[in-house]
Amino acid sequence: MSPQLTLQAPVALPPPELTDYLDKLWSHDLESSSGASTFTLLVWQPAWVEQHLVRTGRLDGPVTGVVRSELLEAAREAVPACDLPLSISPLSPKLAWALGQQIGNHPIEDLRGQHIDSAISAFQPRRLITLAPTLNHGQPLETLVAAYCPLPGEGTAAACGDVVVLRGDFGALQQGLQLLQPLVPADLPCWVWWNGSLDEAPELLEALAEPGRRLVIDTAMGTPRRCLDLLESRVASGGPVNDLNWLRQRAWRESLAMVFDPPSRRDALNHVVQLDIDVEGTHPVQGLLLAAWMADRLGWHWVESHAAPGDEIRAEFERTDGVTVQFHLTPVPVGVPSSHPGSVVGLRLICKPPGRQALCVILCSESGGCMRLEAGGMARMELAEEVVPMGHATDEWEMARLLGGGHDSTNPLLATAAPLAAKLLPNA
Amino acid sequence: MTVTLTNPLRVGLRQERVVSPQCLVIFGASGDLTHRKLVPALFELFRQRRLPTEFAVLGCARRPWSDEDFRGHMAEALGDLVHEHRGAWDQFAAGLFYEPVDLQQPEHLVRLAQRLEVIDRQRATRSNRTFYLSVSPKFYGSGCSALAAAGLLSDPERSRVVIEKPFGRDYGSAQELNRIVQASAKESQVFRIDHYLGKETVQNILVLRFANTIFEPIWNRNYIASVEITAAETVGVEERAGYYESSGALRDMVQNHLTQMLALTTMEAPGRFDPEAIRNEKAKVLQSARLADELEPWNCCVRGQYSPGGSAERPLAGYRQEPGVNPNSTTETYVAMKLFIDNWRWQGVPFYLRTGKRLPKRMSEVVLTFREAPVHLFDAAGGSPTANQLILRIQPDEGAGFRFEVKSPGSGMRSRPVDMHFSYDESFGEPSDEGYVRLLADAMLGDPTLFTRGDEVEAAWRMYTPLLELIEDSPWQLPVHPYEARTWGPAASDSMLGRDGLMWRRP
Repeated sequence: MSPQLTLQAPVALPPPELTDYLDKLWSHDLESSSGASTFTLLVWQPAWVEQHLVRTGRLDGPVTGVVRSELLEAAREAVPACDLPLSISPLSPKLAWALGQQIGNHPIEDLRGQHIDSAISAFQPRRLITLAPTLNHGQPLETLVAAYCPLPGEGTAAACGDVVVLRGDFGALQQGLQLLQPLVPADLPCWVWWNGSLDEAPELLEALAEPGRRLVIDTAMGTPRRCLDLLESRVASGGPVNDLNWLRQRAWRESLAMVFDPPSRRDALNHVVQLDIDVEGTHPVQGLLLAAWMADRLGWHWVESHAAPGDEIRAEFERTDGVTVQFHLTPVPVGVPSSHPGSVVGLRLICKPPGRQALCVILCSESGGCMRLEAGGMARMELAEEVVPMGHATDEWEMARLLGGGHDSTNPLLATAAPLAAKLLPNA
Repeated sequence: MTVTLTNPLRVGLRQERVVSPQCLVIFGASGDLTHRKLVPALFELFRQRRLPTEFAVLGCARRPWSDEDFRGHMAEALGDLVHEHRGAWDQFAAGLFYEPVDLQQPEHLVRLAQRLEVIDRQRATRSNRTFYLSVSPKFYGSGCSALAAAGLLSDPERSRVVIEKPFGRDYGSAQELNRIVQASAKESQVFRIDHYLGKETVQNILVLRFANTIFEPIWNRNYIASVEITAAETVGVEERAGYYESSGALRDMVQNHLTQMLALTTMEAPGRFDPEAIRNEKAKVLQSARLADELEPWNCCVRGQYSPGGSAERPLAGYRQEPGVNPNSTTETYVAMKLFIDNWRWQGVPFYLRTGKRLPKRMSEVVLTFREAPVHLFDAAGGSPTANQLILRIQPDEGAGFRFEVKSPGSGMRSRPVDMHFSYDESFGEPSDEGYVRLLADAMLGDPTLFTRGDEVEAAWRMYTPLLELIEDSPWQLPVHPYEARTWGPAASDSMLGRDGLMWRRP
């Protein structure tokens, strides 16, 4: 399904009139409709790559903030043009920065916040607030408002919502923060989706992600240390946090669990001696989260980590029976990287049960082969090899799953994996 | 006893939807179903973190219990489970409440509404309510009307009603009950429960058919010769004589459970996995189904009743000797029948349904027998090649099997049948949730996919109307054949298939 636009063209209002306008809208114009008793979704939507691609004429507008195939294609083409390594992901902040150095002055039609992915609109947010920072320094704060109701026949009752867009340069948006508090209905859950790099605007992120709000971040976007520290601190503070990078790794967790579903294989999990994970490019967070999840589930104790040549990460765990488990995380260059940096592309687990044939489990991504992991004496082991399907879910779809799931706390698996992943990342 | 290690990598992987804040109101809270099935299922959901903190259960029945009495009775009924998970139980039990209510007394409903408002404030359940009618079927209609009259079903977004089986006694009474229920609430608020649909293996029929491309091209009259659906029980009538005497196997098992398995096995592929799309297809296929001989139903149906049997060490009483059963009872404890489905996919394919009590094995299965190869090129070990069979095992030993011919080892080219098995236990090794866990969660989530819609129920009853009328008006034309307990039913049932050149599968 394609994204939907709000039916009503948004009204541009002077910022001080925003709250009054919304009150009037609900008490008069939409009086006959029951407002959706659902949730507020607050989105930080910089869409830097998209804005720069449109500005430099590499992509036709408008800018929507929704990742679409044309955007990914244009971004992939821009990677070599910006003299970046081919393994840079098309949504990487590095590409946004490089594009920012290029000249171009094409006009940008900005529809961020008004272009709602149908997966999200299906859950009828009561209020969708978008913070849309612009490239133009000095652009003052603009506020746009639109109401929307489901199309006839979409639902049994007219449960309407509204859309609020705050647009301007970074300074203007910071000023706009004071407008936000009264805009978030106190009696409904509020989700905050930080749909940008975690390196940028930390104080704004702090301000948006109040403790009771359900924060959604993407630890593939930002420097690995910042991403893992933020995740860990949010978990430690007890504030609900979800990570799209963690969700995108779902197929790897599921595939690995599937290998050990047959009861005859389960004992091998007590005898793991080596774990190898390959990731695309040099962003290790997804691979570390996967290793941390396994270590937590299997009761391994972290001993030490260190950086190795070629951006490798090596670590040691100790099993509950005192035996050492070696862990290697290896960045591998790829020709056509996934849309997000650091996707896992391979996993190898070697189990050596005493007195029995060793078991080697190899999982590899649909996008690549397993040859690297198949090397090294695997022929003498029982081999369990699976291909992990590539995730085709967009971030909007993942968001929709979160919204539909209704969970008001951090996934317990993520909560235990996050601090361990932070330990696994060697300090620079 | 073999102990299966749990798969530590599987723990917590499923992120199930969490029920929205609400109060579940159980009418018939002092009854058997509540403490045997409903509260254990709710506690399981709680332990799986699928119930929010803003959740409450309000038990209602005529007994003058207090909240504490209700909690105590439930804890007692759950026994070891409570002891094993004491901390979790204490948290869960804090959300259990009780209100003495007689659904026939309007003033009780007023009091109930007031109590619900108090619970809304105490537990932040936001006026969302699911009403579960676990009461005698004769109160389903009046119960819904009473709830509607008290204004408790007026908000279709915030209130739902779950109705246990049996939904009606025949086509006419089901229509009448639907009329009353639908006058009280919108169809989207009504959840008619059939716990068979909560079984993983029943749901797996849909996945097997519609997630695999290999089956769909052959899932039709061109390749399938016949279909058998069996639900066999080893138990007798036990303590349900009062109910069973007035229902019998046809109403107790066939109209609901077996018919649901029939619908899932024969429905067309829905356009999308959407509750209404699925229920539309189920309703459509049931509307096309009919008894093989509607004018003379005795030709396509056999009724039976178990007589004494068992062994010298462990004799088993016959049905008429069971406590609470009329010694001259003509209630059937076994029924077998032949159906046809008049549509493009299934025209001419016979469907054989059977169910019975005190049969040799407890098992439910769907068996699809394929047509024979058009030319027999090889000698078969058994004289002629065995037809391919796909066996969907619903319970126990949940899984599926496929029987096909292979070359028998040795010189020559003789064929013999072999079986290929898929077992849930071997592949997953984890027990699946009890059906009520899934169904209760779905009802509270407002997902009606696994619940029967009004037109489905009516179509199911209509299919069996000629039989029910015959049993009512001229029972001698459909006699109850005795069969010895722990045998596979009366010989007349075998003869019914024998006339078509077939035999029941002996699992």
